[in-house]
Amino acid sequence: MKQSNTQLPKNVWIVMPGFNEAAYLRTVLKKVKSHTNNIIFIDDGSTDDTAEQAKQELTHVLRHKVNLGKGAALKTGCEYAFNSLGADVVILMDSDDQHNPAELPRFLEALTKTKSEVVFGARRVDAQMPFFKRFFNKMASYSIHLLFGGTIIPDIPSGYKAFTKKAYSKIKWNSLGYQVEMEIACRVTKQALPFTSITIDTIYHDHDKGMTVLNTLDLFHSILWWRITL
Amino acid sequence: MTIFQIISALFALFMMYVVTIHGKKKNLSKPEVWAWNSVWIGFIVIALFPHLLLGVTGLLNFARVFDLLIVVAFMILSVVVFMSYFTVKTLQKKLEEAIRNEAIATGKKNAHGKK
Repeated sequence: MKQSNTQLPKNVWIVMPGFNEAAYLRTVLKKVKSHTNNIIFIDDGSTDDTAEQAKQELTHVLRHKVNLGKGAALKTGCEYAFNSLGADVVILMDSDDQHNPAELPRFLEALTKTKSEVVFGARRVDAQMPFFKRFFNKMASYSIHLLFGGTIIPDIPSGYKAFTKKAYSKIKWNSLGYQVEMEIACRVTKQALPFTSITIDTIYHDHDKGMTVLNTLDLFHSILWWRITL
Repeated sequence: MTIFQIISALFALFMMYVVTIHGKKKNLSKPEVWAWNSVWIGFIVIALFPHLLLGVTGLLNFARVFDLLIVVAFMILSVVVFMSYFTVKTLQKKLEEAIRNEAIATGKKNAHGKK
């Protein structure tokens, strides 16, 4: 994998949501800062000192007074980036140190080279990825392909992705929680937005919050609902 | 009088007590307390004197008063659930917007202060 400290352009902003991430946050932010200072962190009503940790490193820290969920936090970050900071491109990444910031320039490269509006970061499928995750990811991709048509989007639950301002206006989601990644994929397919995907490395941690079986069932119920309503 | 009628009347009395408590806590306005109490008084009257509804039962072709009551109860429940669903949805949306707008406004102010 190419490891570089390429600086991102001024019109590109990184949006990172976080909930009770105080333990790893500053390490992650320092890594991201080696590529850009355009970082917006959204503390989604953490009960620890996540927001204070973020403020030590960043200028743009937004705080939800109440925990609304990842979808709402991402939306707040994107609205702030596009409407208040004049961003043209936003890259979403998780703040739990699972995503490698060295791959940030690759998203931008993929956006410009392929003339895509959206770039999905798809985690490498290898023995490191837990079986349930692999199975669920495939199921999610095929379900959306079956219901919405279009090209198969790999690894939909991955939170590492980039899109343009134009794409955001078309995919603005309503999901407040973890369903957001699915809704983005459904909307991209439904709107037939040009997208591409790049393979990314993922660092699996013990503190990975993961999803329950009930969450998974809820997600598939949501996909059916979006098929009817979108 | 059957045991079922006694239980129904006691249940309605308990619900009137709940309404009164919420009235005292100002969760319900005076007209709301009156409206809910009227509903439960009506419930007690029908539970104790079901023959009062025999005319309506015959008119609507129900075999028993009990059947009519079940249908009416389901209709009322459906309306209440439907209204609650939309109220919760509206509140959720308003709350989300308020929290997000506040976060953005404070973030802008803080960022401006840091520069």
